[in-house]
Amino acid sequence: MSDLDNAIAQLRACRPIPEAQVRELCHKARELLIEEGNVVTVNAPVTICGDIHGQFHDLMELFRVGGDVPDTNYLFMGDFVDRGFYSLESFLLLLCLKVRYPDRMTLIRGNHESRQITTVYGFYDECLRKYGSANVWRYCCDVFDYLALGAIVLGASNTLSPNSEAGSAAREAEEDTEIEVCNADGDIMSQFSRQEGGASRLLDPVGSALRPSATATNGIGGAADSSRNSGLGGAGAPSKTGSPGSGASGSSDGTVGNPAGAVLCVHGGLSPLIDMVDKIRLLDRKQEVPHEGAMCDLLWSDPDEIDGWGLSPRGAGFLFGADIVKVFNHRNDLSLIARAHQLVMEGFKEMFDASIVTVWSAPNYCYRCGNVAALLELSEDSSGLGILSRTNGDVNRSDGGVGGPRGVLMENDLAGLRSGPARRYRVFQAAPQDSRGMPAKKPVADYFL
Amino acid sequence: MSAPSIPNLFGTPSRGGGTQGDRGGSSLSGLGLGLGRGRGRTRVRGGGGAGAGAGSSSGFGSTSAQAHDVTIQGTDTDAAVSRLSAVEVGYLEDPFARLFVQGPAGRRLPIINRGTYTRTTAINQIVDRFLAQTANSGGADDDSIPQTRQIVSLGAGTDTRSLRLFSSSTPHSRIAYHEIDFPAITERKQRIVRASPQLRSILSDPVSVPAEEGTETTWRSQARNNCELFCHGLDLRALAQQPDGQDSTTATASSSSSPGVTLKGLRTDVPTLLISECCLCYLDPADASAVIRWFESRIPDLGVVIYEPVKPDDPFGRMMVSNLAARRIHMPTLDVYRLPADQERRLAEAGFGQVRHMTIDKIWGRWVPHEEKARLDRLEGLDEVEEWGLLAGHYIVAWAWRSDKFQLPDGS
Repeated sequence: MSDLDNAIAQLRACRPIPEAQVRELCHKARELLIEEGNVVTVNAPVTICGDIHGQFHDLMELFRVGGDVPDTNYLFMGDFVDRGFYSLESFLLLLCLKVRYPDRMTLIRGNHESRQITTVYGFYDECLRKYGSANVWRYCCDVFDYLALGAIVLGASNTLSPNSEAGSAAREAEEDTEIEVCNADGDIMSQFSRQEGGASRLLDPVGSALRPSATATNGIGGAADSSRNSGLGGAGAPSKTGSPGSGASGSSDGTVGNPAGAVLCVHGGLSPLIDMVDKIRLLDRKQEVPHEGAMCDLLWSDPDEIDGWGLSPRGAGFLFGADIVKVFNHRNDLSLIARAHQLVMEGFKEMFDASIVTVWSAPNYCYRCGNVAALLELSEDSSGLGILSRTNGDVNRSDGGVGGPRGVLMENDLAGLRSGPARRYRVFQAAPQDSRGMPAKKPVADYFL
Repeated sequence: MSAPSIPNLFGTPSRGGGTQGDRGGSSLSGLGLGLGRGRGRTRVRGGGGAGAGAGSSSGFGSTSAQAHDVTIQGTDTDAAVSRLSAVEVGYLEDPFARLFVQGPAGRRLPIINRGTYTRTTAINQIVDRFLAQTANSGGADDDSIPQTRQIVSLGAGTDTRSLRLFSSSTPHSRIAYHEIDFPAITERKQRIVRASPQLRSILSDPVSVPAEEGTETTWRSQARNNCELFCHGLDLRALAQQPDGQDSTTATASSSSSPGVTLKGLRTDVPTLLISECCLCYLDPADASAVIRWFESRIPDLGVVIYEPVKPDDPFGRMMVSNLAARRIHMPTLDVYRLPADQERRLAEAGFGQVRHMTIDKIWGRWVPHEEKARLDRLEGLDEVEEWGLLAGHYIVAWAWRSDKFQLPDGS
């Protein structure tokens, strides 16, 4: 075990560990991962992270902002490798932490955890450069094949836990806060309340500097817009949570602090071949990411402002619209889908009445994009109801798992929304250049010259 | 699993993992010699050092201005490597790209390949329109005698557009193609033309044009169908010294102390298209304007195409400026023409009645046909969709014209 701790220490210093040690680590990791289902069950509280892409120093910044392992329970939604200069150190560190603290670290597979993609986007070359052979790349790819395809978070609370990181402006978490956005120092940048009709209270207008406005139409990671558009407590909407009779969403009583519906975490998104979470469990995942099919879609698809399904510009997976998400969430008793896969300049972006959120955790992606990153914290429901009342994403609920017609869904949308988990986003920027220790001869990002 | 057995996610036979590193190398690895594969993999990516000889051979001193000139000349190497990468993956057809890159090609990421493809085809389309519209009519008073058309490429470097036009399967005729770049660059190009049988099959032996006076060194070479290539070794800032046509005449006539630049072989009485593909952006804005004015004040029938970065003020743009600065690349015009509208205004103020612009991502969306997109998607999957929008949204093609003999495409 001390070997493992030594490896962790070495990797934390961004130094690769010897090939023999990688081999052993990957072997242990596989033994661990093989026991996990395709969809891992994770209990709140949990901190959900998006793409890392070998940006090791930014991963260290993420741990600084989100808390260290094992103090914080982490769920990483894939794309650990490729693009950045330190895919190897980043992935091996996460893997070490997984082996060391299996219950505090969940890793699911991204589309870059693939032999094919890593030969194009850098991880293969990096392994070759650092070890002189492709052995380490092979060990890692064999681990990729065992990574889970998704996770279900149970027991997330409707209310936020107190923001322990909040500095001088520390404040009691409001019971009705649905969304809170913090900066890297834990200062609250903005809050969105369920009761106030989603009206935001910008506590620190200066904080807008943290949010690049390149995609200004999306507002603050889309959060402000989605709250506004969702009709959260808007005219005619009931106060508090849950509309009567909407038992399907598991939010039939409106008491604050009730557990929210389950949250599905997946790297890319949905698949036309998957209408129930249970169908993910039936896949044979222990293989290279296929060119097409359900497993491919889960890792490649993107939500988009369309109706139904559309072709993906990525050449793999699909685009899916709000109607698809709402039917899926309703049918599976989910309050939210958390996914990664797409760069968002503001670090996170809620879409479709907050039924799905993109979390992006690679700041200044590829050392070129100038974006900020985010992680998503879901707090633990203190009533203890959440975990008991759910059986591991088991879905046959009051509607028998049959999706209702859209008209009914529209009613339930609000219910699903209002029972959604309270979400705290911590937004952070790239680690300072001087801590990066970038190799001097390394070419920086390419442009057209 | 060994590399050659990697399943290809995008189903392209040409992209098996085992072939990647062998690209551009010898065909020996195809014989099944185990050696080829592993060694081929250890190529250097980025190619930053690949053609540095062009800049370093000039033996410049160490003043920062000269250092910047060398850096800018180095951007030509960067562009040549990008072009070769796009060609070798299959985005572009260009039998000449290989000739201008020393050593193995660094393979660029898909996003760069797509950008190289889009900028090239965008300018191709504008050039094609210009050539089509000036193909037949030689002016009303000239009866049906076909007329020469001119293309002037600023900072052409090792660009192969002229060579591609001269060897195109749809033959163009009567093109006088003028390339202008630093003497170190044009001299190297001359050496390559001389040494390459492939090029000598489309170009006659380069002939130096004697310099009567002035600062330029020019060589010329004949191509088929009355086409001709002129390469002018010249610092563009010399043009900026004498921007106005009238002044130039008097200067040349009256004074040998301030020798004029004449761009030998350049005519002022034929339709002319001026191309700046990431060139004027490296000049001081006043010099860049003066260079355009040099042509505008002399040539009545003139079109211009400019390809440059834009939008330095959003998060991506700020990072772009900072990253380029780390490579000691500074684009002074970007400070002045910050938005696409600024580029349009720039060309309107330069005297062009018709002005258009499109960002590279819009060109990709609107000018690249559906089937072509499908073909490119099959070449290599592009997982960098959002990044593509960002990067391609920060480059613009702006074009403008002033002529009753031709029109350039509309921007839609």
